[in-house]
Amino acid sequence: MSADALWYFGRGTGVSALTLFTLVVVLGLLVRSGWSSPALPRFVVSAVHRTTSLTALGLLAVHVVTLLLDPYAQLRLVDLVVPFLGAYRPFWQGLGTLALDLVVLLVLSSLLRDRLGRRTWRALHWAAYLCWPAALVHAVGNGTDGTSTWMLALVGGCVAAVGGALTLRLRAARTSETETQSVPAPVPPAYLAGLR
Amino acid sequence: MNAPQRLLGAAAATLADHSRLLGPLPGVDGAGILRAAAESSLTGRGGAAFSTGRKLASVAAASDPVVVGNGAEGEPASSKDRRLLATAPHLVLDGLQLAARAVGSRTAYLYAPADLLRTRLEPALRERRDDVPVTTVASPGAFLSGEESAVVQAVQGGRAVPTSTPPRVFERGVHGRATLVQNVETLAHLALLTRFGAAWFRGVGTSAEPGTRLLTVSGAVAAPDVLEVAGGTLLADALALAGGPTEPLGAVLVGGYHGAWVPAEAVADIALSRDGLAPYGAAPGAGVVLALADSSCGLRAGADVAAYLAGQGARQCGPCRNGLPALAGTLRALADGRPSPLLVAEVQRVSRLVEHRGACHHPDGTVRLVRSTLRTFSAEVAHHLAGRCTARHGALVVPSETEEAIA
Repeated sequence: MSADALWYFGRGTGVSALTLFTLVVVLGLLVRSGWSSPALPRFVVSAVHRTTSLTALGLLAVHVVTLLLDPYAQLRLVDLVVPFLGAYRPFWQGLGTLALDLVVLLVLSSLLRDRLGRRTWRALHWAAYLCWPAALVHAVGNGTDGTSTWMLALVGGCVAAVGGALTLRLRAARTSETETQSVPAPVPPAYLAGLR
Repeated sequence: MNAPQRLLGAAAATLADHSRLLGPLPGVDGAGILRAAAESSLTGRGGAAFSTGRKLASVAAASDPVVVGNGAEGEPASSKDRRLLATAPHLVLDGLQLAARAVGSRTAYLYAPADLLRTRLEPALRERRDDVPVTTVASPGAFLSGEESAVVQAVQGGRAVPTSTPPRVFERGVHGRATLVQNVETLAHLALLTRFGAAWFRGVGTSAEPGTRLLTVSGAVAAPDVLEVAGGTLLADALALAGGPTEPLGAVLVGGYHGAWVPAEAVADIALSRDGLAPYGAAPGAGVVLALADSSCGLRAGADVAAYLAGQGARQCGPCRNGLPALAGTLRALADGRPSPLLVAEVQRVSRLVEHRGACHHPDGTVRLVRSTLRTFSAEVAHHLAGRCTARHGALVVPSETEEAIA
């Protein structure tokens, strides 16, 4: 075990967190699109969305703390909160800080959902649409393996998944098909026949 | 005595079949639905029998309310909601849409067992183009998971256990919004009476118990089944519809595990109505009718039910955590024939201690069942105190805790 462990651990959890946050965003979009399938019912999608977001949060915490402790990354405490002040690639690192701030906002607002009210919570949850791209670009621009083939393939997969889910979400604009009818209606003969 | 099969006769697997049978979802506005519900005198079919019209009106007065269709059916002796959801999912979903329209809600949830959501309800939802989007939530199947504040907890993503009331959920429910939690059978009735009118709804049953209701008849009957009967049907007729008793009965448990026993000699003349059952401390409740053979020991049956209920507690407050296990244990000792008159006094003492002290009605419901057991089977209690049991075999089947944990 050397000091390198922190470095590798920090990088590994960063990539894992990005993958999981992609899943969180995809599932969140699916929840809102009303999409479901026999293999993945709606109630499962929303339950997995919630639990995956907390798992991803754990990975993100390890990512941030290991790199803060790692001497090579040269992170200061202020870099965890205020973006674009970093010593190394401040812009790309700043995007990570920004994403972290937004994740904290998303989690806190979800925990305080009952106090905030639905409209405020929903408005704040829109931050997710800013958070995920910031994290993605941070991974490519700041990551040691950011532009390696496997990383680009992973990023491509993440973008495709979110893009696909976003398409479903945008297509889900619902139309009303309620037909007007006089009430009370006569009981249909077929139903009436079956009543006795 | 055969009642019109209004709910069970509305079985339709697809939306096309459903619309062909009953016509489209009516276009009546919210005020029209509120009026029809009030005129129909429909009451909630989850157990509490509260006026649906009054509940709808109360929630409609709030801003930005939520509606929840409750198909949790935690009662082990009840399977009518499951039958209804499996055979007529679109009727329930129609009722959910109409309830949302009646109270002016844009947020609807359907809370039901996971297997039904996956196999029946989500496929049905995919067929529909509903005005109000429906979010599905899986119910865990525990006894208390269908209690309205537990439903709200589950919908919010928490553990499905009751919270203390007031506030009632129709004042402050899901994420602090006024919430209409309505049993799925109630919603199905609402879908029909909105279509065909309150007068049509009242055309069956008695003036105090209009319409039809679903029953789950089980125990010592030839053909245990879910049945649809007219309101105010005689208990004996309900048993006859389920094939009749297989042997002489000792008593019938009515309403559910929070219900009460009706002794066999009263069964012939008693109507399944609030008035008819009131002398026995029972009510139609969720439509549970469980026949106990005279050859079974009623005291042991009561002890089994009490033990089940004690095991199903939310364990959030004292009466549930300590009181109910003590109560069930004492009744068990009495049933197992420890001949001590002190046990009866102890059951009564603990009953008084836990009563009205829980955050929810679970302790009260359990005490009702225990007191009814001692009252109905007082002769059996005397035998047990003398060290005998008149029963030839064990009692009704109560789901054990292990089965519950696996399910």
